[in-house]
Amino acid sequence: MSTFKTSKSEQKSRDPGIQSGDLVLVRLPKGDIRSVKVEKNTTVVIPKFGAFFANELVGQPYGLTYEIQDKKLTYAPPKTLEEIEDTDATNELINDGEFVQPLTVDEIQALKRSGVHASDIIKMQIEQHANYSLKTEYSKDKYKKRKEAKYSKVFATIEPTLYNVCEYWFAKDQLRLRDLRIDSLSQMLNLANVRPGGRYLAVDDASGILVAGILERLGGEGKLITICATDSPPAYPCLMQMNFPSSVTDVLISLNWATAEEDYTPILPPSDIPTEQVKSDRQKHRLNKRKAVTDLLNNTREELFAGEFDGLLIASEYDPYSIIERLSPYLGGSASMVVHSPFSQIIVELQAKLRVLPQFLCPTVSESWLRRYQVLPGRTHPMMAMSGTGGFLCHATKMYVRTLTN
Amino acid sequence: MWSSARTVAEGDTIIVWLTRDQLQPLVVTPGKDLNTKFGNFKHADLVGVPYGSKVASRGASGRGFIHVLRPTPELWTLALPHRTQILYLADIAFITAALNVRRGSRVVEAGTGSASFSHSIARTIGRAGRLFSFEFHEARFLKAREEFRRHGLLNGMVRLQHRNVCKDGFGVSGVDAVFLDLPAPWEAVGYAKEAMRKDRIARICCFSPCIEQVLRTVSALNDAGFTEITMHETLLRPIEVFQTPKLPSVGEAAAELKRAEVRREEKRQRQIAANRRAVEEAREGKEAKEREGKREEGGKRKVVDDEEGEGEEEPEHKRARVDVPSTPGVASTASSTRPRTTTSAPQKINVAKALAEVRGHTSYLTFASLVPVPAGYAGRTEAGSSSNGGSGGGDTPVVKVENAT
Repeated sequence: MSTFKTSKSEQKSRDPGIQSGDLVLVRLPKGDIRSVKVEKNTTVVIPKFGAFFANELVGQPYGLTYEIQDKKLTYAPPKTLEEIEDTDATNELINDGEFVQPLTVDEIQALKRSGVHASDIIKMQIEQHANYSLKTEYSKDKYKKRKEAKYSKVFATIEPTLYNVCEYWFAKDQLRLRDLRIDSLSQMLNLANVRPGGRYLAVDDASGILVAGILERLGGEGKLITICATDSPPAYPCLMQMNFPSSVTDVLISLNWATAEEDYTPILPPSDIPTEQVKSDRQKHRLNKRKAVTDLLNNTREELFAGEFDGLLIASEYDPYSIIERLSPYLGGSASMVVHSPFSQIIVELQAKLRVLPQFLCPTVSESWLRRYQVLPGRTHPMMAMSGTGGFLCHATKMYVRTLTN
Repeated sequence: MWSSARTVAEGDTIIVWLTRDQLQPLVVTPGKDLNTKFGNFKHADLVGVPYGSKVASRGASGRGFIHVLRPTPELWTLALPHRTQILYLADIAFITAALNVRRGSRVVEAGTGSASFSHSIARTIGRAGRLFSFEFHEARFLKAREEFRRHGLLNGMVRLQHRNVCKDGFGVSGVDAVFLDLPAPWEAVGYAKEAMRKDRIARICCFSPCIEQVLRTVSALNDAGFTEITMHETLLRPIEVFQTPKLPSVGEAAAELKRAEVRREEKRQRQIAANRRAVEEAREGKEAKEREGKREEGGKRKVVDDEEGEGEEEPEHKRARVDVPSTPGVASTASSTRPRTTTSAPQKINVAKALAEVRGHTSYLTFASLVPVPAGYAGRTEAGSSSNGGSGGGDTPVVKVENAT
């Protein structure tokens, strides 16, 4: 397969297409989304669906649709919506439980094994279906689509945008995202005024989706310090799915709740050993590494304690007030604070605590609501199932306590 | 865009926060005064004040104060002068995410309107990005231009044009995202496609309040070869938090009812005793009267028997209710059903509910993607059919994607 060539300016841009080593989201015919690792010169396996050579995808732009045939990919043009003619058909004469499909499962399996294309199998099923002609056109369309989803080997790659990654994770494990749905997440990023060049503090126990959002908006320009409850920097699994280049993730640095305390002296192994005591190159290398870690920690602490940050974003399993107590002193005047929680009580109690404190202007509580519609021609309606909650937000502005007089 | 300095300088645009519903944008111009219901201020006094300060008003009457805030697009949305219906946080944030607008994005918007959306997008794309904003209404265009100039957006970040995009198109190409807030977005869909990049996914959002507009837009997008057409509605439910005394238990009510019954019975017994006494006195009195030959007593202090005593129950009942305060913790000594708290302040709890009247609908958000098409496919998408390309063009390998024109 010829690879997709990128121009020089595109290589520099932040969307270079699919690259070797990327985690790629793919949408299968039934609508479910999987994440697969695309590593050059390997075979990509989508469990219970199919396998293909990774090189087929490397260098391709995101969003294209492919059909798998013999581990090779062929481009499949995306489908557009079809108008459906209204007919007089109704389901008046169609009853449940009637024997309508003489084609057995075994026969279908045999056809599939012999390499008959999915579209031909569906055609045969329709021809043999006893009641197909009685169905309404809408019902026929639904039937065809259902069958296609079942047999088709067509998938599309999904660009790892914040929206798509959040949607994928939310559908996969809402609890691990702490109900941080994309509408709530985007509101947090806007309310906290996250912009390229800004400096932010964040606490993310939501698998890193909040950190992913901030890094995406910074685009490699600015600073993000996260505070975590673990000894070493947290994993933030959502970040992996974003396939960020290092230029984007380099602005992120983490402290933990102990090292984020001003009067705590972190216990670090000595790195300043007189040169005459250094015995080997290995030891020297180790000491240099140790010194780099120590310096980074000290510099990060200094930067935090120097304050004047532009915003604080919290999606944590810890008491949000305890976080605000510790971190809000490092916010500049007029900076924004946004807290998310899956639970209304947590946010309500937080608001009640904040509103009596003069350093927080107008703590405001809100809940986000999101509804998706089916927009097929002639069949437009809200989806039957919708996400029940995207969590609750409390937002406030940091003020200086002293009132200025003239 | 706006000042990122720590303190306010002459010429800065600031947001004066008066109340939750009253935010006022202000260009700090020494020599001018600011008069609010919270007192009078001199612009000159605001120069040098750190952003995020509370500033007290001037003079003897000066017990009022204002909050001096640094503008953000979100504050601007709440404070801006309305020239049109505007977009609010929930829609702006969702559209930004769904269109994948981020640092460096090239975005088209039409029309500019009151520029609530524009400011938010400009903030998000930053200096590396570019917003092409189109307004067909001349007066609104001129006002927006003045505003963008004052906010430092016209030096490269935002390009504003007075142009009817439904007639004349956008005159740009290779943009990542298009946002159409127009009465008839379907008229601009073809031009939007021309403006969008073809080498990567580009995205469009059409913002329409009516479902009929959505249907026309969807079919125009579909005909133009857009895919992944979805439609969303998003709202932000504002929630108010209240403090209220801890709700009393019905055990309290039961105890009070029992106490009232006891008092009523005691009263009845007292009345019986009183009646007996009255009868006694009456008899004695009669004898005395007979002796003294004076006027008869009776009309008012009527002799009642046991059952008629009930007639006085109502005032008694009312008095009993007043005796016992409903506030828990200050219950009368007779209360024994609830453990009494020793603190004098009544226990408070925090409760929350949605505002009584909220924004119920803004607009439907119709999204679609323009996906790159390999050169061999001549830019035409196949109408949806059961044979999804596998048999039709199955031999065509994945080839070089057309470059943006």
